[in-house]
Amino acid sequence: MRRPVVAALVIVVGILLLADFLVVNESLGEIAGLVIDAVILVAAGAALAGVVSLAWRRGYDLWRRRGDPIGAILVLVGIAAMLVAGLRPGAEGAGDPAVGWLVAALLAPIAATLFGLLFVTTIVAARRSLSGGARDAVLLVAAALVTLVLLLPVGGEVGDWLAQAAGWTLAVPVAAVFRGLLLGIAILAAVFAARTLLGIGATDD
Amino acid sequence: MPSPADLVGRLVRFVGEILGASSLRFEIGPTLAVLGILLVLLQLVARPVSRWASSDAGGLTAVGRAMALAAESGTDVVVSLGNGGLVRATDALARLQTLAALPSLSHVARAAARSGVPLRVLTSDPMAMVTAAATVEAGHETTETLERRGRSRIVYVGEGRATAAGLVLTTRAHPAAAFAVGSLREEAVLQLEGLRGGAGSLTAGTAEPAQVSSVLLAGGSIIGPGAYQVAADLRADPTERTMVMAANRLILIGVVAIVVGAALAAAGILDPAAFLAGAAAE
Repeated sequence: MRRPVVAALVIVVGILLLADFLVVNESLGEIAGLVIDAVILVAAGAALAGVVSLAWRRGYDLWRRRGDPIGAILVLVGIAAMLVAGLRPGAEGAGDPAVGWLVAALLAPIAATLFGLLFVTTIVAARRSLSGGARDAVLLVAAALVTLVLLLPVGGEVGDWLAQAAGWTLAVPVAAVFRGLLLGIAILAAVFAARTLLGIGATDD
Repeated sequence: MPSPADLVGRLVRFVGEILGASSLRFEIGPTLAVLGILLVLLQLVARPVSRWASSDAGGLTAVGRAMALAAESGTDVVVSLGNGGLVRATDALARLQTLAALPSLSHVARAAARSGVPLRVLTSDPMAMVTAAATVEAGHETTETLERRGRSRIVYVGEGRATAAGLVLTTRAHPAAAFAVGSLREEAVLQLEGLRGGAGSLTAGTAEPAQVSSVLLAGGSIIGPGAYQVAADLRADPTERTMVMAANRLILIGVVAIVVGAALAAAGILDPAAFLAGAAAE
């Protein structure tokens, strides 16, 4: 009994949202807004439940002295710091300067440091792919090397020719492949979205 | 008591009033394009095409071998659903990829349940966690191995793409196999390299056009549109194949529209850009 009800709900909500996407109608917009608000509420509830579950799980692990104690302490301290910064009396919530400082001074630099590894990781990935001898990887690395040569900061007539060749490569073959890829992705995404909206097939199996 | 004709008349008037108070949000071209997608899809659902040549672009049909290795070595198998999530702050394309990754997770979950291999699913979204848990449970239900459900874990890796990459790079576990299908963006190389380094084998794919090179470098082969159609090669369900057939027809229509439109524009007869996309011709 549960599945037909869920399927019917998916189809009704899907068609409603699609109609609101295509047609401007005040009543339709209000109903669609109501549905979207309900989805946001459910998502917010799930996020809150996720945070509580995470804190509970880490706290329980710490209490039972199992798992990674340092990781558990860091997670609990992080949650507590964010909650205190945003919810203390007189705080401005997510827009509070203390929350902004925690994000700008701690999270952003940590993420930037991690992405700083990209240079090394990409070279390691290229080396490993080449040692594996995969045809795709060999072609990819060869193309990357050619691009590197084309982008060399060389002056004079040779530099002009390299710059023109780099511009042509970007504007013609790369753009053609990229646009083809985008076209395919856009069509598949549109069909997949239509399928989901109309409740065709079971996306959650 | 109103007569049936009176009732029909009122209904028609009511529908007319609603239509009168409505207008199209887009130009006629984009609206017809959206409705055309639905029409092609529904036409194929009503009359499914049975011809199909399986390709297994992602190598997911060999998941049984990975499970055998995992069972032999006593390790687990990792599935990353990418970092798009379902309700976190990101765009629709990233969310759709998380949904598109679920059939792959389902396939791996069934194989893991059958082989008694614990599954570790990585996701950065609470709603995706719930959906992944339901998918893993469905795998155990299908294979009648619900007693093994407790061994699999759904791991919330934290908010943000950097966090997911950081977790994969620093984890000490060495799974027998790793599967990463979903939205991967700036963290793609970090995450895939982290999974590739620790796992016995890696199957990777994403529909992010800018990350094709990252996936190829990691040894993956599900790129671009393939991320949406990989399920069609995994399941005998005609619905999955219908989606690919519909996409193929739409691609054909798109190619014909581009060729004919380019010819018309070159001949100076008509520029269809404004009609189709609402864009001003240069």
